[in-house]
Amino acid sequence: MIQVSNVTKKFGDFIALDDLNMHVEKGAIYGLVGPNGAGKSTIIRHLCGVYKQDAGQVLIDGQPVYENQAIKSRYTVIPDDIFFFTQANTMDMMKFYKNMYPNFDEALFKKIMDCFPAINPKKMVRSLSKGMQKQVAFMLSIAARPELMILDEPVDGLDPVMRRQIWSLIMSDVAENGLTVLVSSHNLRELEDVCDHVGIMNNGKILIERSLDELQTSITKIQIAFEGDMPQLPDDITVLKKITNGRVHTLIVKGEPRAAEQAIGQMNPLLMDVLPLTLEEIFIYELGGENYAVKDIIF
Amino acid sequence: MQSKTSFFNMALFKKNISRTWIAGLLYFVLLLLMLPVYFVINTANINGDDWYTRLGYTMEMRLYEHMSSIPTTFLAIIISIIVTGITFWYLFNRRDNYMMHSFPVSRRSLFFTGILSSLTVSLLPVVLVSVIMTIAAAARGCSGLVCIWYWALIVAVSTLLFTAIAIFSLMISGQIVTGIIFYFIFNFLYLMMEIAFRLTASILIWGLSETMNGIQYKIWTPVLYIPDKAKVLSNIVMDDNYTQVIHFDHSFMGGDILAIYAVAAIVIIIVSYQLYRFKKLETVLDFIAVPFMKPVFSVGMSFFISMVAGAFISGMVEALTPLSYDTKFGIAIISALILGVIIYFATQMLIEKTLRVFCAKKAFHCGIYSLAALAILLCMRLDVIGIENKVPALKDIEWAGIENDYTMVFTDEMEIEAFRQMHQNFLTDKKELRNINYNYPDVDGKTFSIRYKLKNGDIVIRSYPVINTEASVVSSEYLAATQPILDFVNNPGRIKEHVIGNIWNNCEVKSMDFGIVIDVPETHDYYMEYTEFDELSTKEKKAKFKRVYDEFLKDVDAGKVFQQSFAGYDYQYDANQKTTLYNSFDFVIKNPDVLYFSDSDTFYDNDYGTSGDVLHEQSIYVELNTDCTNTLKALKDEGFYSDEKDLITNYDFSRKYESYGYSDSDDYVYEDPDGDLAPWD
Repeated sequence: MIQVSNVTKKFGDFIALDDLNMHVEKGAIYGLVGPNGAGKSTIIRHLCGVYKQDAGQVLIDGQPVYENQAIKSRYTVIPDDIFFFTQANTMDMMKFYKNMYPNFDEALFKKIMDCFPAINPKKMVRSLSKGMQKQVAFMLSIAARPELMILDEPVDGLDPVMRRQIWSLIMSDVAENGLTVLVSSHNLRELEDVCDHVGIMNNGKILIERSLDELQTSITKIQIAFEGDMPQLPDDITVLKKITNGRVHTLIVKGEPRAAEQAIGQMNPLLMDVLPLTLEEIFIYELGGENYAVKDIIF
Repeated sequence: MQSKTSFFNMALFKKNISRTWIAGLLYFVLLLLMLPVYFVINTANINGDDWYTRLGYTMEMRLYEHMSSIPTTFLAIIISIIVTGITFWYLFNRRDNYMMHSFPVSRRSLFFTGILSSLTVSLLPVVLVSVIMTIAAAARGCSGLVCIWYWALIVAVSTLLFTAIAIFSLMISGQIVTGIIFYFIFNFLYLMMEIAFRLTASILIWGLSETMNGIQYKIWTPVLYIPDKAKVLSNIVMDDNYTQVIHFDHSFMGGDILAIYAVAAIVIIIVSYQLYRFKKLETVLDFIAVPFMKPVFSVGMSFFISMVAGAFISGMVEALTPLSYDTKFGIAIISALILGVIIYFATQMLIEKTLRVFCAKKAFHCGIYSLAALAILLCMRLDVIGIENKVPALKDIEWAGIENDYTMVFTDEMEIEAFRQMHQNFLTDKKELRNINYNYPDVDGKTFSIRYKLKNGDIVIRSYPVINTEASVVSSEYLAATQPILDFVNNPGRIKEHVIGNIWNNCEVKSMDFGIVIDVPETHDYYMEYTEFDELSTKEKKAKFKRVYDEFLKDVDAGKVFQQSFAGYDYQYDANQKTTLYNSFDFVIKNPDVLYFSDSDTFYDNDYGTSGDVLHEQSIYVELNTDCTNTLKALKDEGFYSDEKDLITNYDFSRKYESYGYSDSDDYVYEDPDGDLAPWD
């Protein structure tokens, strides 16, 4: 659905996107994560057709996005800071979206509205709370029946119940209509629950882009203990981090976990536990390798 | 496949209107008050026996007068930027900008829908008010309703043009306030540049000290040019006594100008669209959002501000101490270059939003700018484009004029050519002339002006400082350079033709007064008495006046009156105290068949009166002196005074009445060599 190839974007002398490549399958929920200043918002603005890349290609469904009204009518965007017209209430915005998006489903909109009883449709949207404005944005966005939704910090400001409700609506749209979702967020625990693919960005590049399952099996935490000193590990085991606490050693190992488990098992440890890593831990370890500033904070 | 996009999006149009209609409504109310409401109130008291009706005013005249007084561009320039600014507000806010461009709508649609909605809100009130005004005027029985719609056309074209300039300005900047400032800068850019050049020239260039007076609105400043050239024109002429309308005509000026501006507006809109098409949206909140405008702004601001400031600095130094022409220019150039560098880096700070703008690359650019500025200022100093030496070609001149003690304007081709030659000869000696204040700081002097009205409507003004040719220290070269001008203007034939006027030898003398000072010793005061000749018939009086006038002309021929010099006015007054008379002498000449050509009104481009005899007669005031023997004898013979004691010089008057405080003056010491004047006491 989304194909970003060798995209470079400079702001003056600063390189915001550096030969970036990204690929999102149709029907996937793709989580875009990265530290502040990694370039997430910049690539999202390219995907929205706001920025024009200096080099490379940004394609959605095989078509360039920039100034492409037809392709833009097939996806919706919910930015972190949402825009509504001054003086417009929810119904005014609905009429505007209805005129903008050819697939807008007014009946669906009214149906979704029932899920958000706290919102007064006659009230000026800008006078609503930030959370409520987000809800209105989701209602409009989902009712537009897009093939792709691009979400930047989408549930920031929403209460837990509303977050669950919104994700539930999106997930059902994904299941029923094959909606593709690109979501950028710092809430990695939440992404872990909803995403099936993840791209980790830093310094204007995608460092890793895999399915979540694949990612979670590519890095393993192994806790081992030996009678004496820990013997030399085989060269084919890549240890990203090693912490020793008494006779217990904690290793963050990159690569196929079963192979590592088998190799270490042959060294007769007194104790060996192989534990999966959370997305947050993977994020931190991966960026630790990129000299990210927080590499030691979890120990 | 790239989709086909349209120019117009109804959803956007409605949204734009929903945000700007309030401005349109206020505009409508304002126009409503200015046009129909004011007109109806103004004409409410017309009942067939009111003052206006008795004067002969018709409702059509009232309508034309009303419509010709309603502003056009001043309304359009304000409403255009308000409505366009609100419509394109999203361009100046990151959140709004990014979201608007994320919607499935092309920039082409955003742009042209925005323009259309802006124009709708700005023009609809004009159309509606014009309809209402037409109905109101028709109801009041007015004919000539087309003037209402011509006014509407002027406002519509102005609005189109200012909307185009507004959108162009808004595309240039990423900040709404800067965009609005740019809007007004662009509207007055040409005028401001002209003022900057004229101001600098008036301080630095010899002969151009009055050049600020020659500014005429050009087509590049439409906000001032349109009201001047495109308007509903009504001309109501009254009789001599302002009791009856004797003529009314009207016209619609400037249709061609409006067509040019309409085309210009479309061109600007297309250019603005191209700017929008290629505008990088990350430039939101940037001082200047278009790369090519950054050096234009930086260099333009640096050059014009530093040039004017440099000229002012040199002018200030000269005010403190006399400077040679070269020194003055040197100070101006050095000041301008230093200030230019400062302003250059200041504008860089504005553009880049940082104080850290000092780098080798910018220093290099600043160096190039400074060299270019130096070259331009040196070109001014060396008069490369010939401003100082400019004397217009004979074929281009409508009239040529000179103002010193009196004003003369020449329209005859031979006289103009003689005048041109005199001016050209004067300019060949400019090296001697332009340093006179430095070379002769203690010699009194004044400034005389030369003007050429060109056939294309332009006015060339030159003004030259000169010093008293009778001062003992002035060089023979200086005398040789300036005396031909005095000889030219002191020619009796020219004096009669241009100081008295073109009817000097073909006129009746309508009235004549000669004032005699009458003492009132009791109050240490005096009054001026005039002989009335009430016992004579009008014909007898005119004959009497004519006899004096003829003798007066003999004194003119003898070079006794209206003689001009380059002496300073104070010096002149002081030097002639003992010969000039305090007795006033004036007369009115008239020729009902020939229009009086007023040299001074022509010189200053003043409008003549609108009616009657004003153009056929002229009052002439003469400062007589004791050498005007022919005139004085005639005045005595004709009974204007009876005794030589009735004549009193300015010197005697001052001594006797001390009315001007000369005895207290620090720089004027009275001498009474004859000792024949006793103090008042």
